[in-house]
Amino acid sequence: MVDQPLQPFAPPFALFAQLHVPDTLSAGAAVTWALYIVSAFWALYTLVAIYHWLKYSHASWVAFPAIALHLFISFALMAYTLSGNAFSLTPYLP
Amino acid sequence: MKEFELEPGEHIVKQVRKHWFLFLSGLLPYAILAIIPFALPKFLVFAPPLAHYATFFEYQTPLMRAAFGVWLLIIWTGAWGAFTRYFLNVWVLTNKRITTIKQRRFFYREVASLLLPRIQDVTTDVAGILPSLLGIGDIKVQSAGADVQFTMRGIPRPEQMRDLILKYVSTKPQTTNI
Repeated sequence: MVDQPLQPFAPPFALFAQLHVPDTLSAGAAVTWALYIVSAFWALYTLVAIYHWLKYSHASWVAFPAIALHLFISFALMAYTLSGNAFSLTPYLP
Repeated sequence: MKEFELEPGEHIVKQVRKHWFLFLSGLLPYAILAIIPFALPKFLVFAPPLAHYATFFEYQTPLMRAAFGVWLLIIWTGAWGAFTRYFLNVWVLTNKRITTIKQRRFFYREVASLLLPRIQDVTTDVAGILPSLLGIGDIKVQSAGADVQFTMRGIPRPEQMRDLILKYVSTKPQTTNI
């Protein structure tokens, strides 16, 4: 294979067809998928962190306010991302 | 305490975490990253060849607002994770032992205990101007016999902690049912 010229990159259209992914991805669909991926990572990270808080914080009173604050700010930022309205954080965001 | 059960007659004397200043220093990268989307358009204006890129940061458009929101969400989640790790790293001094709980990252946890009668030497180390002013230092506890050494870095008022440890080391140990 080393003596053959490099081939230009081509998207794996055969794989796309099997997965029912359209050949041309619109900007709106790309943004939607990006938001899905970010949300999935956020949810996984938050679940892992909450598990550690509840299991290892030694029943500290800090655990529940910390979790509640994280969820509030995260949901406010998600709402801002989707609609521009971040509840009580709106005055502090552009 | 979930990691270790307190024996009959044992009680927690003190719990120590890293100094708040070190925690806030650890949050500084997150703060800088969060400020970049606000500050960058203003700085670009001062660089004429790049000034036209300042219009790129118009957060009123849905796409840029979404990108900005996702950026802030990632930074906030990272900062909250840093706080979680800060809070779960703790030294616990009881009237019978010292327990160190190290949460290096998620699902990576070390818990070790050292009985007070086995303690041979307690050393504090405060080095530098800022640590001296803020009372930040390290404390090393050396056990007798094997080369067991507990070190906690960046704790507040290490001298007080050392005196507290030595106070309980010097008290006559109570008999246990172990």
